Amino acid sequence: MEDHKKALEGNSTARGVIKLSFSEKCFAVFNYTFFILMGLTTLLPFVNLIAKSLSSEGAVISGRVGLLPVGLQFDTYWYVLQDSLFLNSLKNSVLLTLVGTACSLTVTTLTAYPLSKYRLRGRKWLLLMFVFTMLFSGGLIPTYLLMQNLNLVNTFPVLFLPAMINVYNMLIIKNYFEGLPDSLEESAKLDGAGNIRILLSVILPLSLPVMATIGLFFAVAFWNDYFAAMIYITDPGLKPMQLYLKELLVSSSGDFLKDNIDAAINTTPQSIQASSILLATIPILLVYPFLQKYFVKGVLVGSVKG
Amino acid sequence: MIKLKRSSILAAVLGFTLALSGCGGGGSTAEQPNEPPTTPEQGQGASGGETAEKPNLRMIMQYGLFDPKTEFAAKYIQERTGYNVEYELLPAEGADEKLNLLVSSKDNYDLVKLNAAQFYNLASAGALEPLDDLIESHGNYIKQSIKQESFGSAMIDGKIYGIPETGAGVSIGEELVVRQDWLDELGLSIPTNTDELYDVLKTIKEKKNVIPLTMSKDSIYGDIATTFGVLTDWKEVDGQLMHRAELPEMVEFITYMNKLYKEGLLDTETPINTAQKSIEKFAGGNAAMYKLAWWNAGTTISALEKNFPEAKTAVVPYLKGKDGKAVVGAKANTTWYISILKSSKNKEATMDFLNAKLEPETFKGIAIGEEGVHHEVKDGKYYPILPKFNDDLNNASSFLTGVDEEKYPIYWQARVRKDPVLQAHFEEFQSNAEGLIVVDPMSTAPPIDAVSKNLLRLTTMLDDNVLQFISGAKPIEDYDKFLAQWRAEGGADMVAAANEWFQSSK
Repeated sequence: MEDHKKALEGNSTARGVIKLSFSEKCFAVFNYTFFILMGLTTLLPFVNLIAKSLSSEGAVISGRVGLLPVGLQFDTYWYVLQDSLFLNSLKNSVLLTLVGTACSLTVTTLTAYPLSKYRLRGRKWLLLMFVFTMLFSGGLIPTYLLMQNLNLVNTFPVLFLPAMINVYNMLIIKNYFEGLPDSLEESAKLDGAGNIRILLSVILPLSLPVMATIGLFFAVAFWNDYFAAMIYITDPGLKPMQLYLKELLVSSSGDFLKDNIDAAINTTPQSIQASSILLATIPILLVYPFLQKYFVKGVLVGSVKG
Repeated sequence: MIKLKRSSILAAVLGFTLALSGCGGGGSTAEQPNEPPTTPEQGQGASGGETAEKPNLRMIMQYGLFDPKTEFAAKYIQERTGYNVEYELLPAEGADEKLNLLVSSKDNYDLVKLNAAQFYNLASAGALEPLDDLIESHGNYIKQSIKQESFGSAMIDGKIYGIPETGAGVSIGEELVVRQDWLDELGLSIPTNTDELYDVLKTIKEKKNVIPLTMSKDSIYGDIATTFGVLTDWKEVDGQLMHRAELPEMVEFITYMNKLYKEGLLDTETPINTAQKSIEKFAGGNAAMYKLAWWNAGTTISALEKNFPEAKTAVVPYLKGKDGKAVVGAKANTTWYISILKSSKNKEATMDFLNAKLEPETFKGIAIGEEGVHHEVKDGKYYPILPKFNDDLNNASSFLTGVDEEKYPIYWQARVRKDPVLQAHFEEFQSNAEGLIVVDPMSTAPPIDAVSKNLLRLTTMLDDNVLQFISGAKPIEDYDKFLAQWRAEGGADMVAAANEWFQSSK
């Protein structure tokens, strides 16, 4: 406590030394208010959602729940945690994120590495082909037909196989690799290392920041993806979390329930919707703080060429 | 160097093979349309040996929040019919696009459960198999259960393209509900016509300072509109069909609502209220009257009573019109159509399966389960046994493929009896409406091109404009201008086509 006070005093004296001009003070005040407001606009919906998920359904329906729960209860969480559709979709999402990220990172790195070498024949041409797919795609129906003829529709791999190479991420890794000094590779070669050995033992250990960043990009993308599943998956047992959530919300909306009495009788209570959303958000929220330091560092390192 | 060169060639070769396999796939789908014509003949040849092994069937269903593999109804159907069916669900959003994708990909689906618009689209695109012969040869239970006029709703150019599922029959969904405790407090009685309604709302506004009447933008007609003679989409006037947009009564209704709106008697947020928002106001004690749907009654009323233990509500009987009579409009449309895809290889078996599901005992089991396990009978009424009924049969309606039109409305009411408040409202709404119901004359119409193409868009256009007229965003004198535009954008064609059918059906 004492130390804390001292530290505070120390701070205030330090602030006293460097005097802020009036305009600087105004700016600081404006800055703080602006960013606090910005922060609140993103934070308050979350708080409201937490409050709703912990409130009794009656209070939620009558719009009495603001930032604090009314009629505290935890049953909704038990209900959601026992719901086999929810658990199954959570399992699918976790699996998709792990497998998808691992595969994508491997394939994207293996593509980026050769393309980062100037001596690769036809490098420009190959790069152009990759960039072309960034700008143009086959369109939804042809892609669907392709997946169908590859027998991938309604299978788990369809959720990550088509997304394994992300050209944008590949270019970031390639740029990072290009920034590493050539002499590293040369000295490894003198020691008798082959291409694979150089990549695994020399290049990759030096590329951890960019790997963590791109890995997080992939992980977040796979976690949040609902579109691929919406298109390719009709088997409810294969649906990932985000699609489940989307359908949970859509199926309780007025448009969907119009003229469908049987669905109207069975609508999901709003407090259960809120707890499902929260339970689905928590896992990825937990990952963020631990990887965020790499996030900032990684992109920066990748963007500045050594 | 050589190694690298080889790898780039490999990449190119890989690219080409991928491209080739893509083309190959396209070719094989193009061939498939030639197959169907041959299969029916084979099927007819084999129809004698029905005891032969039953093929696996694939069915596309509408969206539901469940996994068909684990559903009681799915297992029950398999047990009773002997058919193993693989169910797939359309997504909750973008269902039409997905359906088109699934059907056009010709991926071995046998049957689909469709809404009216989807049914019309697929039938007119030639993706559905005409069922007349199949029903004749395999559909004894189907013919027993479904009325001839219902089949009319599934006919295009004289051929049946789907088995119509009419659902729970004609029932009334919504009625005005009022805070009885406030009426008592202010010495008011329940209004019986629009003049009295106006006085009641005005007194509530003056004395209680709450929203006298809240409404959702999705449900603007109903109790009040009917007193002016605006009932459902279509109305017969002197032997001609008129759409409600064309009725002179529509202007009277708008004028009345506009008066309520201007004087603050109608919720000023009506044009943006969702049902959820209106319920929030009513259950939160901020509104005195709301047109409540019975399926929302359970949660709404219990929330209100929790918030205000002294609160009491009453259902306002349908208001009387100028002639002193009350009427209620209702639709008796076919809700779902069950069709067999032209690309199916098991058409006979599929029809056999659909027929087996309508065998009376099987059908009863799908609808309300087993007596003593899922439901019980009290005074001739079916009551659910909870929680078993909910656990096993909550989603059973999704598995229906046509219903016994006599019995299902009676079975179905077991679903309403899950909650006493909900049941009370359902029953009160229905008994209030008894003898007052006017069924929409287009209910049994088959899909008509000009109607199917325009109805949804024109309905949205009408509703948007009605809300603008009510809220005063547009002056009511402009209604004729709007109507001219409505007619020009397909309204005139739609009405003409509807009348053509109407005259021929007499």
